Amino acid sequence: MKSAAKKAGYLAEYFLFLILILVVWFVMDGMGKLNPVIMPSPSKIGSTLVSLIEKGTLMDNLVVSVVRVLQGYLLAAGLGVVLGILIGLSKHLDRLTALLIQIIKPIPPIAWIPLVILWFGIGESGKVFLIFLGGFFTILINVIDGIHQTDAKLIEVSKSMETPFFKHIFKVVIPSAAPNIFTGLRTGLSSCWMCVVAAELVSSTTGLGYLIMNARQFGKTDEVIVGMLTIGIIGKIMDSLLKLVEKHLIKWN
Amino acid sequence: MAENKRDDSYIVVKDLNKYFYDTPEPMKILEDISFTVKKGEMVCLVGSSGCGKSTLLRAISGLDPSHEGTVTVDGKEIVKPEKERGMVFQEHRLFPWLTVEQNVDFALTGMDKETRARLVKEHLELVGLSGFEKSYPRQLSGGMAQRAGIARALANNPPVLLLDEPFGALDTFTKITLQNELKRIQQKSGTTMLLVTHDIDEAVFLADKILIFSERPGRIKRIVPVNLPAPRDRNSYEFLEIRKEIYNEFFN
Repeated sequence: MKSAAKKAGYLAEYFLFLILILVVWFVMDGMGKLNPVIMPSPSKIGSTLVSLIEKGTLMDNLVVSVVRVLQGYLLAAGLGVVLGILIGLSKHLDRLTALLIQIIKPIPPIAWIPLVILWFGIGESGKVFLIFLGGFFTILINVIDGIHQTDAKLIEVSKSMETPFFKHIFKVVIPSAAPNIFTGLRTGLSSCWMCVVAAELVSSTTGLGYLIMNARQFGKTDEVIVGMLTIGIIGKIMDSLLKLVEKHLIKWN
Repeated sequence: MAENKRDDSYIVVKDLNKYFYDTPEPMKILEDISFTVKKGEMVCLVGSSGCGKSTLLRAISGLDPSHEGTVTVDGKEIVKPEKERGMVFQEHRLFPWLTVEQNVDFALTGMDKETRARLVKEHLELVGLSGFEKSYPRQLSGGMAQRAGIARALANNPPVLLLDEPFGALDTFTKITLQNELKRIQQKSGTTMLLVTHDIDEAVFLADKILIFSERPGRIKRIVPVNLPAPRDRNSYEFLEIRKEIYNEFFN
């Protein structure tokens, strides 16, 4: 019984600030302090959300964005993990690539947009490339770090048993790097998700980024906020899903 | 050296000198180490911490083969780690992502599934870990984890087992139990064992021969044979006599 009460307490803590913000928002609205153009009321946001769902606008744009993110992310995750493992294992590859990675990594994906438009035009591939860039380096660097951090003592154990190369990689090095790999995969996903909006803000007629930009041009602040909240909530859901996968795969901790 | 060593020496360490170079001045760690071990013998290396006894064990394992002089096992010079020399470390060093049985199985390569399963089962029985096959290392106590480490090192039946302070981190009760079991296993399997320790009682209880090390640079100060019959009584007069003799080498 006590633990149920405790759980309720934890849950209350978890939602406390969210509820507080909503309450303040409602109260401000009730006192007539909100200018609807700058900050629409929560009820207006709610009704806009419902109407966008009913019209199908929200779902259509959401699906477009999610598909773009998945394309870019899978590319980034696949290449990031494979290259990260190779670079992490080979000191030569590490030296060959380190400087390049360190210079390219700090360039924000947004700064790539002009080049991407020149290279890819304003079609889908450019957006996917931008999303790929957003996730790739985060994943790559985390994977490399993870491989480098393999416990030297466990490597010795494996060596003293003359473990065959591939067994050593798959049963010692990769499991040992798994927590870092997952950190990379999770932060990578969130940067991909941020990049899709950036890509769509600039040149698009579909997607959540477009929905927000378009709404702003028509002064529909309520739609802007609905778009923003959708991005936040979907991002949170995707992260939680990855966390679940991680928990399932790394069950020894 | 093989020509004039027509005897039963199995492990031969000859004129071994070892330096560490990561200090401003090269530091001599081991000096003029020469000794032999017979097949099936249990030899304990005793010395205070920092005397280089673990370094010597790593040289024999092949994990750290850069030194002057030679180490040969069965006539073959040691230049790299090989599975013919099992290693047990002070920390259990089990792979945290593998269960107990997977950890033991990890040591086995190049045999079919049934043989591996049988060897895993046998060795877990040998160290008294039956029933914990599916446990992860974090679920084990220190003593149990060390047992699993020993099972893993023994699983592919190495002719030589090297143990680096294997019971150093355990409480007295667990330690004594595991010493008894190691002795039993050694007598049963006939494995040649080299064990590094700073515990004099442990050495007298386990060893056929004790190498006493002096401090930096580590040199073999004395070799003490222990000719006590098994099972050894830790409180017998003869045991305590040998214990005193070794004690006096360090504190007098």
